Amino acid sequence: MASIKQKYSQQIFNLDNSQDLEKIRIELFGRHGLFNQLFTKIKDIPSDQRKQYGANLNQTKSELETILNQKNISPHQTSTATKINLPLFALPKIGHLHPITQTERQLNALFKSLGFSVYTSPEIVTDEYNFTRLNVPTNHPARDMQDSIYIKEPEYLLRTQTSTIEAYLLQAQSQQLPLRAAFPGAVFRNEKVNRSNHFVFHQYQAVVVDKNITMKDLIGTMELMFRTLYGPSAIVRYRCKYYPEVEPGVGPDMQCFSCQGKGCPLCKYAGWIEMGGSGMIHPQVLKKAGIDPKIWSGFAFGMGLDRWTMAQNKISDIRTLMGGNLAYKPNQP
Amino acid sequence: MKLIYSHLQKFLPDLKVDPQQLRDDLTMIGHFTNYFEEIDHQIVFDLDIKVNRGDCLGYYGLARDLAVLYHLPLNDLTATGKLNLQSLPALPITITTDKVKRVMAVKISRIHNQISPPWLQTFIKLHGTNPVNLAVDLTNYIMFMYGIPNHAFDIRKSGQNLIWEINPKYTEFTSLDGSHLKLDSHILMINNPSHALSLSFWGGEACAIDLDTDEIILEMAIYDPATVRQNSRFLKSTTEAGTRLEKNLDPDTIPQAFTDLINLILEHCRGQISSQVFDYYPQKNKPKKIKFDLNQPSQISGINIPSDFALDVFARLGCLIDTHPSLSIAPPSIRPDISISADLVEEIVRFFGYQHIPLDQPLTPKQLPDITPAQVYLSEKLKDNLINLGYDEILTWPLTDTFLDENTVVKTQNSINTEAVYLRQSLIPSLKHQLDQYQRFKLPPTQFFEIGKTFFKKGNHYIEKNTLALYHFNPDQLTTDLKKLHLQPQIIDHNFAEITLDNLETPPQYQPQVNSHPAYELNRQIITLDANINLNSRQNPKKLIEKYVQKIGLENLWQLTITDIYQDKTTQTYRYTFQASYFNLDDKTAKNIHLKAFGLK
Repeated sequence: MASIKQKYSQQIFNLDNSQDLEKIRIELFGRHGLFNQLFTKIKDIPSDQRKQYGANLNQTKSELETILNQKNISPHQTSTATKINLPLFALPKIGHLHPITQTERQLNALFKSLGFSVYTSPEIVTDEYNFTRLNVPTNHPARDMQDSIYIKEPEYLLRTQTSTIEAYLLQAQSQQLPLRAAFPGAVFRNEKVNRSNHFVFHQYQAVVVDKNITMKDLIGTMELMFRTLYGPSAIVRYRCKYYPEVEPGVGPDMQCFSCQGKGCPLCKYAGWIEMGGSGMIHPQVLKKAGIDPKIWSGFAFGMGLDRWTMAQNKISDIRTLMGGNLAYKPNQP
Repeated sequence: MKLIYSHLQKFLPDLKVDPQQLRDDLTMIGHFTNYFEEIDHQIVFDLDIKVNRGDCLGYYGLARDLAVLYHLPLNDLTATGKLNLQSLPALPITITTDKVKRVMAVKISRIHNQISPPWLQTFIKLHGTNPVNLAVDLTNYIMFMYGIPNHAFDIRKSGQNLIWEINPKYTEFTSLDGSHLKLDSHILMINNPSHALSLSFWGGEACAIDLDTDEIILEMAIYDPATVRQNSRFLKSTTEAGTRLEKNLDPDTIPQAFTDLINLILEHCRGQISSQVFDYYPQKNKPKKIKFDLNQPSQISGINIPSDFALDVFARLGCLIDTHPSLSIAPPSIRPDISISADLVEEIVRFFGYQHIPLDQPLTPKQLPDITPAQVYLSEKLKDNLINLGYDEILTWPLTDTFLDENTVVKTQNSINTEAVYLRQSLIPSLKHQLDQYQRFKLPPTQFFEIGKTFFKKGNHYIEKNTLALYHFNPDQLTTDLKKLHLQPQIIDHNFAEITLDNLETPPQYQPQVNSHPAYELNRQIITLDANINLNSRQNPKKLIEKYVQKIGLENLWQLTITDIYQDKTTQTYRYTFQASYFNLDDKTAKNIHLKAFGLK
């Protein structure tokens, strides 16, 4: 199959007129073409190899069809009439960043201006960094807040939250304080994939450890972030919320942009949409990282990026963000 | 959790707050309230209760919070003190496991069980449970009111010799709703010497209360929450009782709740108490003193919170306040979630009000050493270079249904998505899948890339590689672009290439571009139509394109190109052939727009 693909893809690439292109199309995909002949041979293939043969054949056919379809030849290239020697014209192809990356960069730029670094850590993590260091011991009911995808239960799993990056960061930087770091990242939950849920989604988190950090710093910084992302008219409230890795905990809710707080299906009639979680880093979390909570304090906040990105791009199905029907106009920024 | 205003007022008779205000206030102090609605003349709130507030899985816990917030007196339902039943026989109850924190039980004889009155049926239904009969519904009523599960055994079926034990021998159990469960040896149970009667979090069919029941043992118990949680997970069963028992509940609230239960049974089912109250409580709660500095709420919140306010909140919460030799606060036993001074600070700040913290004072910029890993800069730089070469960034699933090398593949153990079992070892299959999808949507030829992790197992170690893969419809251009970027791919597969980034030279620092370009969710195939336009003179193609883009409108147009220009020497005219691609439109609409824009109608 590889040799067939190589031979014909080269031939197609070298073509410069539509008649020859059509010849190749018939040769490959016509009623008596190569692929129909190869498909009729399936019955002669030993039964244990038949499935693989069929799969390879289908894949090669699909790839050659792609190459053929994408060969762009002017319909008049072989015309005997006077031809203007002008290349085909289209506005230049413009490349695009994925909308999740765009949001991440917008946030990174904001936090860099405040002195934050951008941090990262592994996606396969240990139970210790995903839970224990974040004040969630074994059998803690907070573990039920997250359905984990295990690689080797109970020790190895895919990180369920960007707070896991915080656990790595605090340990790595415990002797180089103060610190400010932000980190976008993919996180994983054992969710069935459908229009509303996915097993992988994207979060953004920021962490500060310094002396005399307060909730006022936290809420003021979050407010700045929300205004940067959502504009000056966004209304956000900050309320008491529980996360095991912070105390006191703070929950930012944004007034529903669909119903302006009146209540609608999008906000489950609450009038507000939960935007993530935050709080002052729990003294136990600092202690586990080797940081003295009597000297240092800090805050952490995290938020999901997918819902916001979907709303921004009028995407109705979460699968689109990582699927084949998310596309960009080729000539438009 | 559901909360009915009128029943909340049983604990807070002076509560007169407007329901809208109550909803907002509950949310602000930590009990997110989605909405309230009027059902059967009752105002019913829908709340999400925090994982660490088991006490608030009952009206009593929420009422205690609201009493602090609104400075209202809390009305304990029970007016009676300790029940004096010493002359009655003791119950022959045995407890053989240390997983039981406290059990209270009593025998009540000559009850008249019946269908519940309408108010009780309504209450039970509004909490998402089916009414059963009066005795059972009253036990559930007390569970919802106090957040502490309890159970009634029909003595005719269970006998009096109840045993709390870890499953000694039983392999099967039939629950109250008739579910058949396979047990293992770690299940905490209530049995008699010969039969399995109940699980810690779910009653059994064998001793169910019915309308003929006339003698019962009432019990209220709290267990080791981890054991209940493990049992419930093992049996894949979630019950209202289990949801509460797997939290840290307060054994010291049991006497009050249990007394209320007894009183309700006696009031509504009549009958009489015919045993002493059994009370097993081997390790009593000891108040935990937390040293506290009254400056802390202000220091941590960043706003001035007066000491008097803090002391008043502690007193209203039911804390023991000791000022000698230094200030220490002992939270009430119903609040096991308060264990360190930061927890006390949260109590003060939430009642003071998060809304008093200013919104306009973010961190001030500070110059700190840059700890950004060099790989981050490399990825950002590559992304910018690639989009400048016209590539689009895509993201694909890190988990797939196939693997390349079974010796090094990382497999998940419990993924519920059969198409997402293995961590990817190459990005190229995902890019191929993306290309298939683009072809299905008849997208014009394109070029795209992904930077992401690939995963490998080596011995007992897991390796993550930062990887770039890219696709170009023209393989020669792909080669040219790779050269421009000084990239030497490890894999080249015709139109695809893949490079591991971990060994590449990294830039010292890099400031990535920040832009905002829309992406589109394709719901239909792209429809591409041709149009020939005859013009009297040669035109600037860019201006011509812009003219027709404006006529068609950007909301429907995916791409517009001039595919041919043909000069007819006899008429001295120029024929421009356009190719217009439309998205998320049906054929007819696209054709109409096309014909109108090019004046072909």
